[in-house]
Amino acid sequence: MPFKYYGGVHPDYAKTASKTPVRTISPPPVVVLPMIQQIGAPNRPVVKVGDTVKMGQLIGSNDAPVSAPVHASVSGKVIAVEPRRHMLGDMVMSVVIENDFQDTPCEDMQPLTAEQLKDPEAIIARIRAAGVVGMGGAMFPTAFKIQGARGKVDTVIINGAECEPYLCGDHRTMLEHPEELLKGIELIRIAHGLDKCYYGIEKNKQDAIDLLNSLDPAKYGVEIVPEVVKYPQGAEKMQVKANTDREVKPGGLPSGVGCNVVSTYTAYTIYRACYEGIPSIERVVTVAGDCVPEAQNLLCRFGTPLEFIFKEAGADMSKVERICMGGPMMGICVADPTAGSVKGASGLLLFSKEMNRESETPTCIRCGNCIAHCPMKLEPMYMYMYVQKGDIKKMEEYHVMDCFECGSCSWGCPGRLPLTHTFKLGKAMINAKRAEEKARAEAAKINAEAAAGKEAKA
Amino acid sequence: MDEVKVFKVTSNPILRTERGTRQIMLDVIIGLVPALAVAVYMFGAKVVLLLAVSVVSCVFFEWAYRKLMKKNTTVGDLSAVVTAILLVCVLPSEAKWWMVVIGSFFSVVVVKQLYGGIGKNFLNPALAGRAFLTAAYAGYMTVWAVPAALAGSVDAATMATPLSYLYNGQAMPEYLNLTSIFLGARPGSIGEISTLALLVGGLWLIARKVISWRIPVSFIGSVAVLCLIFGHEGYGRLDWTLLNLCSGGLVLGAFFMATDYSTSPVTLRGQLVFGLGCGVLTVLIRYFGSYPEGVSYAILIMNCCTWGVDKLTRPRQFGISAEDVKAAKAAKKAAKAKAKEGAANG
Repeated sequence: MPFKYYGGVHPDYAKTASKTPVRTISPPPVVVLPMIQQIGAPNRPVVKVGDTVKMGQLIGSNDAPVSAPVHASVSGKVIAVEPRRHMLGDMVMSVVIENDFQDTPCEDMQPLTAEQLKDPEAIIARIRAAGVVGMGGAMFPTAFKIQGARGKVDTVIINGAECEPYLCGDHRTMLEHPEELLKGIELIRIAHGLDKCYYGIEKNKQDAIDLLNSLDPAKYGVEIVPEVVKYPQGAEKMQVKANTDREVKPGGLPSGVGCNVVSTYTAYTIYRACYEGIPSIERVVTVAGDCVPEAQNLLCRFGTPLEFIFKEAGADMSKVERICMGGPMMGICVADPTAGSVKGASGLLLFSKEMNRESETPTCIRCGNCIAHCPMKLEPMYMYMYVQKGDIKKMEEYHVMDCFECGSCSWGCPGRLPLTHTFKLGKAMINAKRAEEKARAEAAKINAEAAAGKEAKA
Repeated sequence: MDEVKVFKVTSNPILRTERGTRQIMLDVIIGLVPALAVAVYMFGAKVVLLLAVSVVSCVFFEWAYRKLMKKNTTVGDLSAVVTAILLVCVLPSEAKWWMVVIGSFFSVVVVKQLYGGIGKNFLNPALAGRAFLTAAYAGYMTVWAVPAALAGSVDAATMATPLSYLYNGQAMPEYLNLTSIFLGARPGSIGEISTLALLVGGLWLIARKVISWRIPVSFIGSVAVLCLIFGHEGYGRLDWTLLNLCSGGLVLGAFFMATDYSTSPVTLRGQLVFGLGCGVLTVLIRYFGSYPEGVSYAILIMNCCTWGVDKLTRPRQFGISAEDVKAAKAAKKAAKAKAKEGAANG
């Protein structure tokens, strides 16, 4: 039975693609693979211009613990190693591969043996080698996440909420690959060294819940937990609360209360890496929005230029005002459609001007919706005021750092205040201030030591 | 390479709810329609005239002030229209049209715009306008016309309100019984007379999620409980309570005035405290005040406390349990004691 939590909103879920089977798009002639598709250390290209690469071959890596390698998503010839525009805006070192349309598989990675599939070390090593990151959008290296939580957590929660409007990739994966998914979840559970784990799924995916339950999830050590349909059900902290009634402490991680949360598509990617020996090179992307004639779920190789995907979806690009990567609540706007898609892009939404409700003159009418909606039980209205004033002390008093930018406050704001955005700025201001104070304290310590040394000498 | 179109970038969330300020204000206006319909039936066409004058002058004053001050135009959000209607609702039907113009000016310019406009004023504009007019034109503000439904029973142009009977502890005339008062066949301010119509409008606001149940329930609830406890000589306890709930401006105040966004707390517990405060003050004024009606002053007084109520009723953030708060308090106390000890020793 899922536990309740405060706040949240009910946006129009618009999950029109939930009945549409996943379709593999035609292979793109060129892929642009940025060396940063994860949180942590950027990868260094390990191929050079002119090299012939196979599908699944390692093309970028970094030995730092917080990182995830990148693999060629097609076979062909490397035609450029240079900075290219990343979906998220920066110019990032990228490997550009010309597709030879042969899909020659790389033999470097083999399926794990039956013994290895029971060995947590082997599973984690494979997750790392396959470049698996949090596919829900966070892109945090999964191997590091599991390694760090091992032995410390007593509960693993697989996140199947998919609470963002429009997105249906996880839902379709549950329906089309239920057995594989359960096996992937089993691997995650084994990697954590636990006997049982929860799989939280929002009740609007009843068909998937029924299907998974019919496959005897207990056999895999999985308990399906049907969850209330409410945004942000899929946020880590909400998942922990809903499944275990534990509340992550302010500034803490789920592992602080003995939990680890892994998303659905991550589990499926882990299945493929371990059972099939295929690294993380593709994912389901929901392409939807009012500029797409029909919402669809497309299986896209990473690095596929966005404009190629849009063409494939039959989008009317002349109408498009904004391109959103991820869901509309926490997603990020993409300015340049020539960028290649990355691991965290669960959705690509194309919205026309009619969907833009931002205001030139945002005005707070003190309706209190933001306070009623904030799942962290904060007071966005007052936080907004203090961030605007630049009052760091008040910002801390009103817990601006606790905001995880789910967007519920801004979504429900009739005055169209840029609340969420302002808190991003506020958090940056607080971090800058803290860094400054730390530096000052350090400098004072160094100077005091130097002065003491001088005195001792004298 | 072809020329690449660069797309617009906004921060998350990319989408927002359809319901903007304008839709909310429109819902409030719709919620007032039943009460206004009863008013027009009971008091005749002059209500329509007053409404027209009020809407035109409120919108004009808001537009003109913001134009003069070179600020953006806000009349499109319809909040001036809501103020205009609410101002008429709290006036007697005998009010003169020029009083409405003066009241509109005070409400919109002095109370609302001088503090920065919508969301910034700390007093309810319509109630402040009524308070101003009561002070300035007490004569016009205390004359109560006989409603159409009572024209056969009362042989005069004006009559006393049910609340003044209650205030003086007199028995009410036969034609003023609980049913007639509840339905609206009674003298009183234009918008307050029909409890039934106001309940319909109030439930509409709650159903549309324009307001929460907290303020109306704690406001009306606290008045009911206090009236039940204290009662009044010569009235049955239940009769006294129900008459108190339906006779004055309580229902109008609880659903449409006390819930005004700008002037009521935004925290959920704060809203309960606010409603409770309004209820207690209303009863105090009705029992001990020098004036039979207490709702408008109770709300205006609580309006002044809104900021403080918000600060005192802050929610406990996610991840902090009641024990955590206790522990933090104990730690603070210990630190203080230690500092004191240190100061005493040093």
